[in-house]
Amino acid sequence: MSSVHADLLAGLPDGEAERILALGSRTALRAGQVLFNLGDAADSLFVVESGRVALTLPLRLRDGQQDVLIEERSPGQALGWSALVPPHRFTLKAAAAIDSEVLALPRAVLFEHFAAHPEVGYVVTRNVSAVVGHRLQVLQTMWLREMQRVVEIRGVRARSVS
Amino acid sequence: MEMFLMAAVMSLLAVAVCAVLFAAATRDEHGEASRPVVQAAREPQRFFASAPAAPLRAEAAREGTEPELVPVEALLLRIEQHIRLEQAAAESFLHRPTDESLHSRTTSRLVN
Repeated sequence: MSSVHADLLAGLPDGEAERILALGSRTALRAGQVLFNLGDAADSLFVVESGRVALTLPLRLRDGQQDVLIEERSPGQALGWSALVPPHRFTLKAAAAIDSEVLALPRAVLFEHFAAHPEVGYVVTRNVSAVVGHRLQVLQTMWLREMQRVVEIRGVRARSVS
Repeated sequence: MEMFLMAAVMSLLAVAVCAVLFAAATRDEHGEASRPVVQAAREPQRFFASAPAAPLRAEAAREGTEPELVPVEALLLRIEQHIRLEQAAAESFLHRPTDESLHSRTTSRLVN
C-alpha cells in the first residue's frame, strides 16, 4: 500500500500528501527490532510502509514481565501519535512483527509545514483526531466491560462470604 | 433337666458375648496395622519433595480454590486472545451501541 493512501493523509490531494511524505525519512526494521519503547520521547509520528508493527504493553506475570500484544499496525496505518499530544512520551512499545519499513515524520517539521499550510494541517489533524477518538472509544468500552466483570466477580465473592 | 438347659443357654450366651468382645477388641488393631501398607502402595515413588504438588494443585483448580497454573507462554496467548476478542466486542458495540452488545460475552478462556 502506498503511503499516499495512509489514514493520516485521507482527504488530501495526492500532491499535498506527497509533500508531507517528503518531509519524512524511511527506516527499515528487522523482525523484532524495537521502533520505540514505552516512556521514550515521542518526537516523530510513523506511518507503516510495509510489514507489520506490533504495539505492546508490559504486563507483570508471576515473577517476570512480559510484553503483551495490544494491536498491530499494517501498511498505511499511522502509529506514535503521542508525538502530536503533550507530554510527547510514548505510552506503548512498538517493534516490527516481521521485516518492515516505516516512514518517520518529525513533529517539528510537520508543525512547521502545518503552520505554512493551515488547510493541510487541518485535514491531517482531523484524521489524527479520528484515529485517537476511535481508540479512546474502544478503550473506554473495553474498560467498562472489564469493570463490569470486576463488579460481577466481587458480587460472587461477597455472596460466598455472607 | 431344666437346670441343665438353663446352664447350657447361659454358657452359649457367655461364649457369644466373649466372641463379640474379642472381635471388637481385635478389629482396630488389624485396621491400623494394615492402613499404612495401603497408603505406601498408593504413593508413587518420587525423588523430589515437590512432586506431589501438581496433582494437589490440579485438584484445587478443579474445585475452584486456586487458579489453574499454565505455562507463561500459554497464559500470554490467552491474554492476547482475550484482548483481541474484547477489542472486537468493543468495535461491535461502537458499531451498534446497545446494552446487550456492551455486555456481550466472548469465548475468552481467560474469563470463562
